[in-house]
Amino acid sequence: MNDDYLWDKSGEPDPQIQQLEQILGTLRYQPKPLALPQRRNYFPLLAIAASLLLALLAGGIWLRVRSRNEAPPQQARVETPTPKPTEAPKPPELRSALNPPLSAPKRIHKPRSASSVLPAREREEALMAKQQLMLALRLTTEKLHLVHTRTQPNQIKNQHRVG
Amino acid sequence: MKTLLIAIFLIIAPVFAVHAQQDSRIQMSTLDHLASKASQTVDVNIDERLMRLASRVFDDKDEDEREVKKLVANLKGVYVKSFEFEAEGQYTAADIEPIRTQLRGPGWTRLVNVTSKKKGMLEVYLLFNGDVVGGLAVLHTDDKELTVVNIVGPVDVDKLAKLEGQLGIPDLGIGSPKNKKNDDEK
Repeated sequence: MNDDYLWDKSGEPDPQIQQLEQILGTLRYQPKPLALPQRRNYFPLLAIAASLLLALLAGGIWLRVRSRNEAPPQQARVETPTPKPTEAPKPPELRSALNPPLSAPKRIHKPRSASSVLPAREREEALMAKQQLMLALRLTTEKLHLVHTRTQPNQIKNQHRVG
Repeated sequence: MKTLLIAIFLIIAPVFAVHAQQDSRIQMSTLDHLASKASQTVDVNIDERLMRLASRVFDDKDEDEREVKKLVANLKGVYVKSFEFEAEGQYTAADIEPIRTQLRGPGWTRLVNVTSKKKGMLEVYLLFNGDVVGGLAVLHTDDKELTVVNIVGPVDVDKLAKLEGQLGIPDLGIGSPKNKKNDDEK
């Protein structure tokens, strides 16, 4: 009996060993791909985060550009060119929105309890803004009043016709 | 992919919504060149920040100021350009066309149009965001006057009209010829 079969499978095989080989052969190593635990897909989350970041960035840039492009004058300008020599000189105070005449109600300039909280510069800016706002509202109401007075006669005429 | 699309939509939708609300701002810078021809110019630019700032100095104890404060509470801006000329024909229809083009845009509705050969044209426009008023524009074109008023934000026109004569600022002599006449008589 030659034992070479046990070492290098040469020589005459032993039926017992062949039987053992068959039995144990089922347990031999069989190559198959490594099954790693599946990684979580972070793509949607990353995409959402990136979109949010981009939106914030775009919003920031847009706001900055917008604030730069906006007209810098933040105060009312009421300009009157120098009066011609033939014209009677008008007192400039009457035409100045920022320097209302003395007849203007003093309550505009009266210090407010709420405004006293504001720093001096901000308060000054706020008062200026308020004056502009009042000027704009006055102009608007004047125009609306004009619309009202111009449309009113027609209504009266129509009522007259109906009556 | 579906999640991504929904996320992008949710991000973009408010941006468009905000943009849509800001459409009531009318660009009036095309009229700036008229200032050199005008005998009198009024240029008011109050953005939202200044509006908030101004509302802080209104006197709550004063009834008129309280009313004005309430009226401007939700406004985003008030912009006025008014030019008065000494002679006729200082501006053309082409100068106003950019304004009219914007007012012909979606959302804007011409509420009133009063045309008179002697007193010019007076138009009132409202911008509607659904059922809510999102802005007001007044365009007054006369032989010797051009005025554009633009109020951005939810404005109560009735309340605004009722403010006539309540605003404690000096009369600048701008506006209706009637007012001017009265001033001259005084």
